[in-house]
Amino acid sequence: MTAEDAAVRLFVYEQARQGRIPAPIDIAREFSVTPRAAGETLQRLERDHDALVLLPGSPYVWLADPFSALPTDYPVTSATGRWHGACIWDAMGIAALVGASCEIPTACPQTGVGLRVTTRDHELLDAPGVVHFAVPSRRWWESIGFT
Amino acid sequence: MQLFRSEEDVMAWSAATAVPVGAIFSPEQLWQLAIRWYDDRLELGWRRRTVGERQVILDEVGLTGEFWSLTG
Repeated sequence: MTAEDAAVRLFVYEQARQGRIPAPIDIAREFSVTPRAAGETLQRLERDHDALVLLPGSPYVWLADPFSALPTDYPVTSATGRWHGACIWDAMGIAALVGASCEIPTACPQTGVGLRVTTRDHELLDAPGVVHFAVPSRRWWESIGFT
Repeated sequence: MQLFRSEEDVMAWSAATAVPVGAIFSPEQLWQLAIRWYDDRLELGWRRRTVGERQVILDEVGLTGEFWSLTG
């Protein structure tokens, strides 16, 4: 990965941590490049480095794992922001990266019963229920949306 | 990768959706995995971990066996 691509990747993650995954135009402004060049960088980061997942056929970031640009059933909230993880694993990953006191207010997919995970720094304070992974690990990246 | 109220709810969800049951484990174990898996994302020098490095992380948190094997 070139130094320029690494800097763009880190910018995407720093922005995501602040609650907003950037569009190519945001990257273009930050790095004084064209939006087209910024989009090409994002596509390279996905294609060559598995660093991001873009919305199919677009230059827009869908996942900067564990951060999701789209709302999901796994929101993460703290006093400083609100994020979304694509799954409970990603939501916990966000809580770990954010580091502050976080809550993951979600619900059981089968019953709709509310489930609330609470964390502080690298400590899990409360987490009800059980975790289910449907897809074996070697197939996680075959269809990342389903996984 | 979802959080359910109970194992019984996982079974009912599997029957309703025709998605086979995979692995069921504790939120505490997933928390340990999440901490380790994502701890490098805010580093400038990030690179995708190798299969071997990822397998080590799974092993470290006790997720072992065929379901958790990244090869084969």
